[in-house]
Amino acid sequence: MPLDLRAVAIASLAVLVVLVGVYLGSGGLRWFDAALAGYLIGVLMAVFATVYRYLVWLQRPPTALMNKRGWESFRSSGRLGRNAIGFVGLVGTNLLTQGFIRRRSTARWAAHQLLFWGCILAAAVTFPLTFGWMHFESVGQDGSEYRAYLFGVGTGTFQAESVVGFVTFHLLNIAAFLVIAGVLVFLYRRLRDPGALAVEREGDFLALAGLFAVSVTGLFLTASSLWLDGAFYSFLNNLHALTVILGLMYIPFGKLFHIFQRPANLGVHFYRAEGELGAPQSCRRCGEPFASEMQMSDLKTVLPLVGFDYRTNSGGSDDPAEPAGNYQDTCPRCRRASVTLAQCARVGGFG
Amino acid sequence: MSRLPVSEQELVERFGPHLNQEPPGGWNHGLDIDREVKTHCCFCGQQCGIKLKVANDEVVGFEPWYDFPFNEGKLCPKGVKRYLQGNHPDRLLEPLERDASVEGGFRTVSWERALDRTVQEIRRIQDAYGKDSFALLSGVSLTNEKSYLIGKFARLALQTANLDYNGRLCMVSAGAGNKKALGMDRAPNPWSDIPLADVVFVAGANVAECAPITTSYIWRARDRGAKLIVADPRVTPLARTADVFLGLRPGTDSALMGSILHVLIENDWLDHHFIDEHTSGFADAAAAVSGYTPEWGASTCGVPADRIIEAARLWGTSDTGMLLHARGIEHQSKGVENVLSCINLGLATGKYGKPGCGVSTITGQGNGQGGREQGHKCDQLPGNRDVTNPEHRAYVAGVWGCDESEIPGKGLTAQEIIEAIHDGQIKGLLSICFNPAVSLPDTANTAAALDKLEYYSVIDFFLSESAQHADVVMPGSLHEEDEGTTTSVEGRAIKINAAVPPPGNARRDWEIFLDLAERLGRGKYFRYNGTEEIFDEMKVASHGGTADYNGMTWQRIEDEQGIFWPCPEPGHPGTPRLYEGGIFAHPDGRARFHGIEFRPPAEVIDEDYPVWLTTGRVISQYLSGTQTRRIGALVEQYPEPLCEMHPRLAAELGVESGDLVTVRSRRGNMTTPARVVETIRPDTVFIPYHWAGDRAANQLTNTALDPISKIPEYKVCAVSVEKAEGHVEIRDRRVTTLQERAAGGGHTAGDPEGRAAR
Amino acid sequence: MNPAAPTIVDPLVGARMFVIDQSRCIGCEACVQACEECGTHRGQSLIHLEFVERGATTQTAPMVCMHCDDPTCAEVCPADAIKQNEAGIVQSALKPRCIGCSNCVLACPFGVPKYFALPDQMMKCDMCYDRTSVGLAPMCASVCPSQALWFGTEDEFEETRSGQLMHEFRFGNQVVPTKVATVVADRTAGPVDVMTADDAPRWQDDPFGLGDG
Repeated sequence: MPLDLRAVAIASLAVLVVLVGVYLGSGGLRWFDAALAGYLIGVLMAVFATVYRYLVWLQRPPTALMNKRGWESFRSSGRLGRNAIGFVGLVGTNLLTQGFIRRRSTARWAAHQLLFWGCILAAAVTFPLTFGWMHFESVGQDGSEYRAYLFGVGTGTFQAESVVGFVTFHLLNIAAFLVIAGVLVFLYRRLRDPGALAVEREGDFLALAGLFAVSVTGLFLTASSLWLDGAFYSFLNNLHALTVILGLMYIPFGKLFHIFQRPANLGVHFYRAEGELGAPQSCRRCGEPFASEMQMSDLKTVLPLVGFDYRTNSGGSDDPAEPAGNYQDTCPRCRRASVTLAQCARVGGFG
Repeated sequence: MSRLPVSEQELVERFGPHLNQEPPGGWNHGLDIDREVKTHCCFCGQQCGIKLKVANDEVVGFEPWYDFPFNEGKLCPKGVKRYLQGNHPDRLLEPLERDASVEGGFRTVSWERALDRTVQEIRRIQDAYGKDSFALLSGVSLTNEKSYLIGKFARLALQTANLDYNGRLCMVSAGAGNKKALGMDRAPNPWSDIPLADVVFVAGANVAECAPITTSYIWRARDRGAKLIVADPRVTPLARTADVFLGLRPGTDSALMGSILHVLIENDWLDHHFIDEHTSGFADAAAAVSGYTPEWGASTCGVPADRIIEAARLWGTSDTGMLLHARGIEHQSKGVENVLSCINLGLATGKYGKPGCGVSTITGQGNGQGGREQGHKCDQLPGNRDVTNPEHRAYVAGVWGCDESEIPGKGLTAQEIIEAIHDGQIKGLLSICFNPAVSLPDTANTAAALDKLEYYSVIDFFLSESAQHADVVMPGSLHEEDEGTTTSVEGRAIKINAAVPPPGNARRDWEIFLDLAERLGRGKYFRYNGTEEIFDEMKVASHGGTADYNGMTWQRIEDEQGIFWPCPEPGHPGTPRLYEGGIFAHPDGRARFHGIEFRPPAEVIDEDYPVWLTTGRVISQYLSGTQTRRIGALVEQYPEPLCEMHPRLAAELGVESGDLVTVRSRRGNMTTPARVVETIRPDTVFIPYHWAGDRAANQLTNTALDPISKIPEYKVCAVSVEKAEGHVEIRDRRVTTLQERAAGGGHTAGDPEGRAAR
Repeated sequence: MNPAAPTIVDPLVGARMFVIDQSRCIGCEACVQACEECGTHRGQSLIHLEFVERGATTQTAPMVCMHCDDPTCAEVCPADAIKQNEAGIVQSALKPRCIGCSNCVLACPFGVPKYFALPDQMMKCDMCYDRTSVGLAPMCASVCPSQALWFGTEDEFEETRSGQLMHEFRFGNQVVPTKVATVVADRTAGPVDVMTADDAPRWQDDPFGLGDG
């Protein structure tokens, strides 16, 4: 695939935006922790690659058209307000609580929720820290009280030994436990169920292994500082950084890219609703409606762009004497019936 | 006495049929299994090999058994979903005694109580009315061992002559015909002969739905270039592609076969050498059909004359050929004559005793073949012996260690037992593996008989519609809960293995009979420590009879993936193909032709009842449906009976597909949706018979019996059809997703009365 | 784990192939029932089977995924969720990616993918990947009583079956080559032309000799 220069430019711009954000948010790098520079580099690379891949993906003809239609449907005249409210609901049900997974399997859903919220929590802590948007300072001399700063603005103080303090300092450990629990449930399911195992792809295990490695090495760091007087800390720190950076760079290339693709599902909801309001497509064979005319028309636009010609006339001319039929105007049931009848005709006949 | 203890609705609420939709643990449960058990499907005489997956002593799924030679992994939908009959909410787990005062009409009792009560009642009735006043009805979904045990139990423990079985509703016409003509009651061929045939003639057999695996055998013949002839009032899925389709009028089969024989003789498409050397009576047969010209056949059967000629030409001029027949020709008051008329075609053209040649019945019930051989048929003793033959009686008495005089004589057949209850001759009944309330003709007549009984006890795993009438119900074992042998459609004895133990307090059937025998004071004849001991006695009892199992052992049967009887001595390889070299089982070695003159059915259409009714099966249900009406996935496939009719008849009646129609006969009437199809004769309607109560096709059928086999005439009677109030939407496919299933589904939808629940 | 499971071998071991001969279908639905026993989608049947037109005929239309060489479904998928594996098997939609738009359901020339509203996803036949990947035949072809659905090697087909294998279908201007084969009497007549299907002759054009066809 040739390099897409437009996507390169936009991805570079995204990297620049992050850099500017880091500079401004960290008070001109005043609060930027140089020890975390490696993580920042990993983030920048991930941002570049994710934006690049997202843009390339959006250019595939079906994706581009669906993207366009999704937004059009969302903005559809007179329903923008209702759609905006619907959008909030869909974010809640589909993106956050992910009810569609629960309907497949409760165990799968629980595992995915553990991973999802674990990752969200970890990201919410580490990204601001890495960018220098958030930092902690001790209050007083004994180091028992801390104050968190967001964009250099002080927030509340808390005692290190307090519950708030414990939770704050262990947010990443909590996230790690959530992620590890999710990974274990997924692995247990897969190893116990030959069916699940069969459709397993290498990428699935890689993603689980990556999340597991990041979480475990993070926990090692905590263990080292809490119980081992910092033994191996430097080594473990490098190891953890390495797993995180590799993990970040894996996002755009592997299974985790679905984090960015999946939200397109929301657009489909509006597209579907819009289609149902419009005219239906009737089957050329049985006459029954089977889809929205809009979606069938979109498909007939997309198909030639991806190399298919399901029209019936030779070359699809505009000659009225040669009407331009299209096999795609057949409903799926009649397609199956037609394939059967056509095959029967080739062996002598049907009932 | 035995009226339903509470309303039918209340019985159904407690005991079902309810639908088992999911395997134990649900669909989302991973299939983490403990073992796979090689056994066979319980639904139909093909007895396909299947592996059952077991986890925690529950059957949780299946796996094709590719290595079993008969079906090589193939299964019909019943086989695929058979595992859902286990772990079923309706499964009977405790003995029950009728008690109208409790919910559901039955209270749970101890085994002591159930057995003691049954034995007290047997003694009371037999003391008051004589031994034969207590009858036993059995069934041939049971293993050979149980069939043998029940035959012996009836004769020596109950000491009644009145033992019969539901094989009486299955292949007795074929058995009687084969015995008369060939001297032995078994399909003469292994199924591996079908692919070797140059012509396959299927008469009165909806192979695709009732013996589905046989379809692949027929296609293997066709792949070699064989021609296919199908005679059926309906264009069945197999008939659809037939080379010659003979869409005959119900009840005219012997006329069709006679006409074909006439054409064979006219054209000299005969094997004279075979007729001369290996048969007798050809002249009688020829004389009987001398007037049966194709034109006569055409007018009698409603089939174009040229097709009769073409069928005769294909059959007569092919070197090899197999004729397969089933209930379509056998379920008639001339069932035996129909079978004999088919055998005549085989004998006349020399199609016996060599590869790719034979006239075979397709046995319907699971152990229809084996069950009738082991002596739980009113006229037979083990080894297909004759209960009236002194030598046969003496031999069996010797094996049983009793005096010959202790073995009662010939008793009544199944339908005759029902009539004898009406007459007051029979006062008590024990039944197992038989649901006469659904499966016998004229269900009103059957139900009335069950209600006249002074005592009725049932052994079953679900509360069947017949068991609803019982005084005591004893929970027996499912097919996968006990081991033993069965004998398949081919005459191949095979091993049934137990996958799981009976749940709760349910018991293996044979153990129940041993306890009853003990309580009847006849325990000395029933000392078995296991089913294999029963088999070992059974094979000795069969020795010297036609169905000789003497050389078989369980081990051999498993090792050799089945053994074909006769297998008279250890080391004998078994006999896949009978009559090799044209040597038949009559003492003179010759087969017998029979002169078959056409007789009309017992009831013919007239002004009041102007339409023929024929009944039959659908692929997704088995017999009276006690098992298959409880498996959700199978019920969805065909949830309620549809009345198939031709568009011509429908137009006369003003009926469209989905409209309810009322079908009346002299026995009763039923209202059910019509399915308007061009695949049935315009003068005939078809209704499948698997349902109970007001959906039972047997409300309409005729109790007329074949004079020899005593099989009822299910396949022909006269009805009137009229449009009724109401319409349902008939779908052309089954629901296939969990979500459609949750929404309720099946081939009919939009039914406000929720009829699909039954 | 299943104690009887053979060791993992290459997908579609021994070059066994899937053949569908719709003309032989008896509509028994053994395939439909067995499909939902498949480990990768337990409880959901992905094979299609319905009457062509029950009023006229018992002919049924079974349909598995034909596994097109260049799958239309994958090309029209906005989410890039439909993948072909090394063996040419077009897999069910990747669950994390599928956005439930139904483009594949509507564009597949064979009418194969199914959209499931509750999980909001497409699922389709993956030729029993859990079975074929360990050298077992797919569920549907294993159980099919008429062997309208068949799984074996090309040599086995030629030895035991009449007809010739055909891997190409025509839909208007579009010829679609598939991995799954169908059966035709004469391969030289070209791809199976689906749009002329309604001109197919009846095998029994007047089964009861009524004289009015």
